[in-house]
Amino acid sequence: MVTGGTLLTQLLNGLSVGMVYVLLAAGLSIIFGVMDVINFAHGEFYALGAYLAVGIAAALSGVTGGFWIALVAAPLIVGVIGGLTERVTIRPLYGRNPLYHILLTFGLVLVIADGIEIIWGTQPKNFAPPALLSGPITIAGFQYSLYNYFVIAVGALIAAGTWLALTETRVGIIIRGGSQDRGMVRALGIDIDRYYTLVFAFGCVLAAFAGIVLGAKQEVALGMGNAIIIPAFVVVVLGGLGSFRGAVVGGLGIGIVQTLTQTYVPALTGVIVYLLMVGILLVKPQGLFGNPEWQNHGGEEGDLLTGGGGGILDTTTRRYLAAALVGVLALVPLGIGVTYSSYIPNSLVLNVLVWALFALSLDFVMGYAGLVSLGHVLFYGVGAYATVMMAMYVTPVFWVGLLAGVALALAVAWFVGYLSIRVSGVYFAMITLGFAQLAYNLVTKFDITGGSDGLYTGYDATYGLGIGEVGQVSLLGDIQLFYYVVLALVVGSYLVARQIMRAPFGSVLQAIRESEDRAEFLGYDTVEYKRRAFMVSGGLAGLAGGLATINSFGVGPSFLFWLKSGEVIVMTLLGGMGTLYGPMLGAGAFLGLKEILLTFGESTPGLLGEVLSQWQGILGLIFVVFVIYVPEGLVSLPETLQARFGAGGGGGGESATDATDAEVSD
Amino acid sequence: MTPMLELDGIESGYGETRVLGGVNATVDEGEVVALVGRNGVGKTTTLRTILGSVEPWAGTVTYRGEDITDLGDVETVQRGIGLVPEERRIFPGLTVTENLELASYGGSETENRRDLDWVFDTFENLDERRENRGSDLSGGEQQMLAIARALVSGADLLMLDEPTEGLAPMIVDRVMEVIEDVRDAGITVLLVEQNVRVALDLADRAYVLAHGEIVHEATPEELRADEETVERYLGVSFAD
Ligand SMILES: Nc1ncnc2c1ncn2[C@@H]1O[C@H](COP(=O)(O)OP(=O)(O)OP(=O)(O)O)[C@@H](O)[C@H]1O
Ligand SMILES: [Mg+2]
Repeated sequence: MVTGGTLLTQLLNGLSVGMVYVLLAAGLSIIFGVMDVINFAHGEFYALGAYLAVGIAAALSGVTGGFWIALVAAPLIVGVIGGLTERVTIRPLYGRNPLYHILLTFGLVLVIADGIEIIWGTQPKNFAPPALLSGPITIAGFQYSLYNYFVIAVGALIAAGTWLALTETRVGIIIRGGSQDRGMVRALGIDIDRYYTLVFAFGCVLAAFAGIVLGAKQEVALGMGNAIIIPAFVVVVLGGLGSFRGAVVGGLGIGIVQTLTQTYVPALTGVIVYLLMVGILLVKPQGLFGNPEWQNHGGEEGDLLTGGGGGILDTTTRRYLAAALVGVLALVPLGIGVTYSSYIPNSLVLNVLVWALFALSLDFVMGYAGLVSLGHVLFYGVGAYATVMMAMYVTPVFWVGLLAGVALALAVAWFVGYLSIRVSGVYFAMITLGFAQLAYNLVTKFDITGGSDGLYTGYDATYGLGIGEVGQVSLLGDIQLFYYVVLALVVGSYLVARQIMRAPFGSVLQAIRESEDRAEFLGYDTVEYKRRAFMVSGGLAGLAGGLATINSFGVGPSFLFWLKSGEVIVMTLLGGMGTLYGPMLGAGAFLGLKEILLTFGESTPGLLGEVLSQWQGILGLIFVVFVIYVPEGLVSLPETLQARFGAGGGGGGESATDATDAEVSD
Repeated sequence: MTPMLELDGIESGYGETRVLGGVNATVDEGEVVALVGRNGVGKTTTLRTILGSVEPWAGTVTYRGEDITDLGDVETVQRGIGLVPEERRIFPGLTVTENLELASYGGSETENRRDLDWVFDTFENLDERRENRGSDLSGGEQQMLAIARALVSGADLLMLDEPTEGLAPMIVDRVMEVIEDVRDAGITVLLVEQNVRVALDLADRAYVLAHGEIVHEATPEELRADEETVERYLGVSFAD
């Protein structure tokens, strides 16, 4: 029953949550508008604010007003950190394709999150608001939490202040102009770049503030950044990228909708937000208040840098190398018991192979068609779930399960591609992210998908090569059949993908990546080509997901978590986009490095060991360096090094810059 | 007298694609110079290269005796060169007033710098629409605003990129009047136009751009008389 009192309570709850979204989204949106940076690290600055406030309040535990000091000081410190971060890491990337910012800020997420963990540990912190703000208060016979009133009031005040600053001050008008057409601001003789640090720092201040007020209401815990960043993106995208009004309306709207859904339609909790986002974007691709004209910043967008075609090695050498690599992989299981335990091939290498396939699938669309799928985990997860469900509910024969996985991933890719490929760039990335997040929340809702526990296939030997069984069939000792199944499928997928890229279809895709207008002008239906590529890619990702479930005896919501999407993007770029084999090597490098760090971390005592165990942070750091200095990825490294230090006598300096600047494609 | 602006052997392009293969041209103080040529020959690229938003591969740009080849767009505009870009590029989410205010924060402190009062006195239609957003203006109004914006930023040399494109004939005449007023106020104009009639009516001198080079330099009268050149490089004919 909906009574006036409870409805009002719910609305106020919604408003207080919504204010937190507004603060986050305002910063995200302005940062995107002005600098084209999709800042995944925003959630971490939010968390950092909360943790710093806990630290400051604890240090001032005797002092009255510790909370208030923390509330002001922590955001300012985060602002300084944010400003430095912009200077050191993001600044070198301006003028490159916005994809690189996504990759960079994803690296920053890993670094900051692990930094927080090292400093503050894994235990959640309590951060209580001062007595002055605690307890309920009764106004006109209506009783409600005083702290929530405080959050709403302070949030509204800050939002209003930001709005005034944007509309009434010189800097504000320059920033708004810059978020609509940066090139034109420059053409009026205004150095917009000077404002970037300020904008970024200011966004971080707002985020930190949001983290503190929400942290004091709930708790301050690891993962709080990860949990809020995607809904915050939804708010920004819904409201319209770069629109402050959109951030406010979107933030409050989402806050209220979320709260009301939780109370009155619990079945839709967690799903409604993404449904809304997908629905609105399909009707109004630029969001509620976004202006379609703003998408074009005057054609100054940088290109995607693809890896070199093997650089200094000629084709024959490369072919031999590849064959040798496959040969070594085929021999790896023979070393079991001789040089290492069965863990290496049956777990580590197998995992690398599966991720290599996943990375290959992403490269197919990202590296070749220029489609940045931020939610690629959707296809991986859908493939995984379909494989397991087929095995559990229909027939346990493993290859039927895998086929079902690929088929469903293809179908979902067709559907998502059908709806979203016509919208461009950032919005496409966001819609894919929205769909993935939708699926992530959906699978937890139903018994048939195992809820939040997932599904466990176990071992079932009744049928020949059932899903549980294929992972267990030993050829000899610990040497397993499944290893070879995976190796064959991965190598086969690579060969098929390469063949497709060599066919006219592949050439058209690459033409689209280089200039969509030109490809269209030549008479190609670019949207159709991209959709088909997206389907192939989705199918391959589904296969990877299916194989992963066999390897892990089941599937759970973590198969659909957005961080996996980030990781696979990392691998793709690390290895070298647009080469097919580069991303596969990237998967090996990523997981290999992780393994090394974990092993060393465990065996090294003391602080160093602890630091090494934070493998994500270290990888994130390496990744940040990579994005800035080696954007063409590992496969281009030999070439870049040769160009820089190589023997090529005269004109060496010149060719060095050429090699770094050139966009080499196979 | 040294020219106000001098392009010497400008080569320029995008990525690997060469667009300009050695452009030589001059603009004298107080002149209206037209740059004409077919679609896609590189007229806009020439302006971008002068402005510094595209870096030339070779050659020099000299402005009032200073080598500005290596300057970026911001610095170039701060020297007193203003651009009214292709498709106007009004800030769609800012009001007319804010568009002009933004321009007044940049540019250069030249004698030709205009303030907002002057703009609203001169352009009545903008005065009426002060509080309207850029995206709500008609094409003609946007064009006036784009010109006003460049004047507010203090342009001594005004570069106009196809100011009459997509406008109704009556509005085209109005834009031409404005450009004449600008010239009468002592501002030098470099005019890129597809509409050869407009260009030749306004210009003191015209350059014809083709194959990435200046293939012809002439007065409007000479060009009008030279049907072959006009047909060949501009694809229009004055015969009818
Ligand atoms: N940003 C860019 N990147 C790559 N190529 C470009 C870019 N801008 C223009 N070009 C190409 O450079 C050539 C010259 O373009 P430009 O815009 O300078 O011509 P234009 O003479 O101004 O044409 P129009 O009359 O259509 O305005 C064209 O072939 C165009 O396709
Ligand atoms: Mg042009």
